Amino acid sequence: MEGKIVVVTSGKGGVGKTTATASIGAALALEGKKVAVVDMDIGLRNLDVVMGLENRIVFTIVDVVHGKCRLRQAAIKDRRIDNLYLIPASQSDNKDAVSPDQMRELAKELKQEFDFVLMDCPAGIERGFENAVAAADYAVVVCIPEVSSVRDADRVIGLLYSKGITPWLVVNRIVPEMVERGDMLSHSDVVEVLSVELLGLIPMDDQVVVSTNTGQPLVMQKGSKAGDAFRRVALRLNGHADLPVEVPRAQKGFWEKIGFTRR
Amino acid sequence: MFNQWFKKLAGKPDSKDVAKKRLQFALIYDKLEVSENILQDLQHDLIEVISRYFDFDQKALKLEIERHNDFSALVFNAPILSAKRARPAPPRAARPGA
Ligand SMILES: Nc1ncnc2c1ncn2[C@@H]1O[C@H](COP(=O)(O)OP(=O)(O)O)[C@@H](O)[C@H]1O
Ligand SMILES: [Mg+2]
Repeated sequence: MEGKIVVVTSGKGGVGKTTATASIGAALALEGKKVAVVDMDIGLRNLDVVMGLENRIVFTIVDVVHGKCRLRQAAIKDRRIDNLYLIPASQSDNKDAVSPDQMRELAKELKQEFDFVLMDCPAGIERGFENAVAAADYAVVVCIPEVSSVRDADRVIGLLYSKGITPWLVVNRIVPEMVERGDMLSHSDVVEVLSVELLGLIPMDDQVVVSTNTGQPLVMQKGSKAGDAFRRVALRLNGHADLPVEVPRAQKGFWEKIGFTRR
Repeated sequence: MFNQWFKKLAGKPDSKDVAKKRLQFALIYDKLEVSENILQDLQHDLIEVISRYFDFDQKALKLEIERHNDFSALVFNAPILSAKRARPAPPRAARPGA
């Protein structure tokens, strides 16, 4: 069967595309799928460091597209998780080094080789976005519960629809305490504004920083709430569409647990 | 607080120290990468210099970066047809010490 190519995108930078790509990719591979995560941020690569594979880059996506090497030579195999591969971006080229047509060509080969291919999109809606979307059949839009991010997400959702792709939404960096206090958009506010299908809700989690510090997969950190939430996103992508989306809840301290409230 | 103690006792390094080491390596590694354009410019300049001294087969010429897991090498392959008799002087300023 042909593999599925999913682009992870957002419009705005710094909302968690790279974190989501690495985590969902790792989780899908842990489910037994053969997965490639592709860094489409040519010139500003990051997926390699987030995954802890930065020392093993020999060839890049630019080399593959230009026929300098085979796809298999550029795909770095993760030694901790079976069936997980990274195709890195080059750091010295710019976004024009590949074209949407070349990406569509490469997509055919990727689908033969892998069950899932996740494209980590750069910020913006220019060439890098065009390249990442060209190869994709599905899209995950990541946003955070802030006005500027939701607005950018809306713009990107429109662009995806115009390309015939129906996107799913992941809301990242949710702080349940702030939502409860009424100081942060709730996930239902965001879904109402954007009217797209929700794929996952990811809480703010210190473990994300620790795991990028060490280059260890977030989804393998015990007790990481964000890691667990990304694993459920992967399940939903992988045939369990009916799995309910879990809403991040505030940590209750000792006093709240026994009935006292702070305010 | 206690977690911190246990971590120290177990000899586990702080994750921020791991981050710093990884960054130092990654920044060096990134700078070793050469873009296609730079290679083309280099090839152009090399041809110009070498053809002052040799006739060589410009079509068979190959300039590549060979990347291996632990090192990279610049490989320039230019099959020589013949050496030029009269070596022309460098076009611009004289060499240092000359
Ligand atoms: N759920 C989360 N909790 C805490 N920090 C997060 C979370 N998701 C992302 N981050 C942090 O936010 C920053 C941006 O994430 P990144 O994945 O690089 O975004 P993008 O790829 O969209 O630019 C990073 O510093 C990352 O560690
Ligand atoms: Mg990114």
